[in-house]
Amino acid sequence: MELLTLVWRNLTARLTRSTFTWLGIAVATASMVLFLSFGEGLRHALAAEMGNMGPQIRIVAQGTDAFSPPLPELPPEMLGQIEELAPELGIEKVIPAVVMFRGGFDPASSFLFYGLPEGSDPRDFYPKAEVAAGRLDPHPNGAVVGSKKAELNHLTLGKPLRLSREVTVPVVGVMKPAGSMVDSFIFVPMKTLQRVLGTKNYGVFLLQLEPGVNVDEVARKLEEAIPGIDAQSTNEALKFAERAMRIGDLIRFGISLVALVVGGLLVANTVMMSVYERTREFGVMRAIGARRRFIFGLVLSEALFLALTGGLAGVAAGVAGSAVINVYTEHAVGLALSAVTPRLALFSMAVALALGLIAGLLPARNASRIPVTEALGRV
Amino acid sequence: MLRARELTKRYRQGEATITALDGFSYDFPPGATAVVGPSGSGKTTLLNLLAGFDRPSAGSVELAGVRIDELDEDDRAGVRLQHAGFVFQSWNLLPTLSALENVAFPLLLAGVPRGERERRALGLLERVGLAGRANHRPNQLSGGEQQRVAIARALALEPAVLFADEPTGNLDSAAGRMVLDLLLEHAVGERRLVLVTHDLQVASRAERILHLRDGRLIDVEEKG
Repeated sequence: MELLTLVWRNLTARLTRSTFTWLGIAVATASMVLFLSFGEGLRHALAAEMGNMGPQIRIVAQGTDAFSPPLPELPPEMLGQIEELAPELGIEKVIPAVVMFRGGFDPASSFLFYGLPEGSDPRDFYPKAEVAAGRLDPHPNGAVVGSKKAELNHLTLGKPLRLSREVTVPVVGVMKPAGSMVDSFIFVPMKTLQRVLGTKNYGVFLLQLEPGVNVDEVARKLEEAIPGIDAQSTNEALKFAERAMRIGDLIRFGISLVALVVGGLLVANTVMMSVYERTREFGVMRAIGARRRFIFGLVLSEALFLALTGGLAGVAAGVAGSAVINVYTEHAVGLALSAVTPRLALFSMAVALALGLIAGLLPARNASRIPVTEALGRV
Repeated sequence: MLRARELTKRYRQGEATITALDGFSYDFPPGATAVVGPSGSGKTTLLNLLAGFDRPSAGSVELAGVRIDELDEDDRAGVRLQHAGFVFQSWNLLPTLSALENVAFPLLLAGVPRGERERRALGLLERVGLAGRANHRPNQLSGGEQQRVAIARALALEPAVLFADEPTGNLDSAAGRMVLDLLLEHAVGERRLVLVTHDLQVASRAERILHLRDGRLIDVEEKG
């Protein structure tokens, strides 16, 4: 009979109440794990995405954030300016492109078109891109569709793809699944997309650098040399994404905190009730010779035991829930958007334990301070 | 040793001050000492003070050479663990523990290793004739059996002083006799038993009887 045995006996003596409390903590922790797993999943997906990308710098018009489809605001003469600077800065290749987004929130009804210049194909974006059917080059007048997009919208070779009232192109290639965002893209010739958008401007310049060139320095020099542009390196994009995701994390944590606070209150209620009911027992222990810290430790251990085991069950449920979510997101957008990383699991456990600790402190303090004479009814 | 000097306890009850014990002084010799008196005579208050459950308003208590009236509640608990055992009228066993675990509980508090604890607890249960009921929970035992387990628990650390407050109060006469025999068995050599009771027949088994009335010690009856 050690302390843990006493804890176990006391909790199982009031099995229904303890079980409901335990479930409350498990559900609260699982909800936190699930909420926060989106941030972790996005981080992973993004890091993988950036790693797969060919060009190291993208140039957009000032004011465009790193993850919005850029508007066609870069004039054709700017391409000349960049190409002029290219040898001096160590730029190997400049790929102008136009981007168009159509649709809504549903992955099946949203379309992201990339207009590529002549002589360029999806491999300039994603060097690992491979074709499953047809060809990779959308020129002179076709569309190369990412695997997920093809699957969701039943786009097969030869099917017409309507870009606007006037412009329709046939599908000339379907790519192999890459496990990345490219699976949801549609590549078309740039001129076609410019016609749809009614412009001769570009949306983005993608720059491939020579090996060993300092990416951030090139980006800075370009911004200095050409006013009105934003040269975003992959590092910068990741940093931007990290900032955005931190905000998202905070919001999600805030929401899940409500559930956690409810879980904490459940523990506090259970332990407090149990202390109240066991006043006499604590009096007997004190009469026999138990010191305050023993009673304090016993009651606090009960709260921590509930929090620890409930938290572990919650993390396990969160992992299972995350796997279920990924089955859906992988089907919908080709990406696993939820991830329960070790740091998320540890963080969730730490939060659950902290709540158990906070919830148990007051009952433990009260239990340890019950006067023996009062507890035993010997006044 | 157990010694009380001018032991006084006053309570405030609204505007009034009630003196529950008034200047009690006595050196408890080895052996069994019964404390008797009518209801409200201060028996329970005396036991609370002698055992260190409560602090006196005035006077002193010395238990096993320690002035427990000068200690805080936590340190008094430490002295109790080492030197005193308790048997209450209503047994007060821990309901979630088996008979064996209840007996072993003071040993756990004293830091005795697990194997040793169980061995000693089983020996104590044998002494009170309950080895066969070691794994029973309190609610599976009769009143007499529970009181015997409580006695075994009180004897676990071989205390110098055993306090018993109406130990036979809730028992039938046969069970009461058995319990009393066990308590008196312990009060040999240098060991002391302080037996609080209102039952003169029970008190008559002790070597001396202290008579309390209105919080005062009015008579000490030494027996042959």
